[in-house]
Amino acid sequence: MRSRIPHILLLAVGVLLLTACYESSDVTRHEPGVYKGEADPLAKKLENDGELREQLNQRFDGQRDR
Amino acid sequence: MARMKFLCDADRCIECNGCVTACKNANEVPWGVNRRRVVTLNDGLPGEKSISVACMHCTDAPCAAVCPVDCFYTTDDGIVLHDKDLCIGCGYCFYACPFGAPQFPKTEAFGVRGKMDKCTFCAGGPGEDGTEEEFEKYGANRIADGKLPACAEMCATKALLAGDGDMVADIYRERVMRRGGRPQTWGWSKAYGEG
Repeated sequence: MRSRIPHILLLAVGVLLLTACYESSDVTRHEPGVYKGEADPLAKKLENDGELREQLNQRFDGQRDR
Repeated sequence: MARMKFLCDADRCIECNGCVTACKNANEVPWGVNRRRVVTLNDGLPGEKSISVACMHCTDAPCAAVCPVDCFYTTDDGIVLHDKDLCIGCGYCFYACPFGAPQFPKTEAFGVRGKMDKCTFCAGGPGEDGTEEEFEKYGANRIADGKLPACAEMCATKALLAGDGDMVADIYRERVMRRGGRPQTWGWSKAYGEG
């Protein structure tokens, strides 16, 4: 009986150590080639703000020769 | 929807490097890094030509295609931008870009590159517009203020054009037509003769 105790203890420690090897199956999968970063509010601003778009167009057009 | 492009009129570029300086000044680009460069062909020879080169905001950008962390995005206006928080500085984009646009301002120990930096068409980057954080990471966001990229706006000879591809092409076409339609009043051959 006495000789069994260290074995059980060893087994318990072994099992405890093995729990550290647990790997979560909840993996985040990303589609390749799809932008993963933060959104850019400028895109929406350009889409919705007609005044800004007009201002930009005027500047772009100002590049024509006088 | 516009397709933002740069076009450098080689017949007008006088290699003043005003665009390079304007870019560095507007975006506070670190020392040793040029988002824009002026390249001269046949330098010092008669008929030399200069063009100003930066990110060309490709329609099917090769940098975005090779990025392993997909940090590139293209706005609806065709401006190719990237998220520096995702960039791992692998340098694949540098190898893929035919114009040498991606720059790496920081070199860390053992040759590890820092986050990639490139021309943003003065449109900043992802995140809130006009913040100090955006400026530090990506430089000026002039587009959000309704302004042109600093390089194009500073060009003294209007050699560097920026804007919608159709409009830029239209301006260039007009110029070419005009050049072909009258005798060469100025230029190399007028000043120095043929050869």
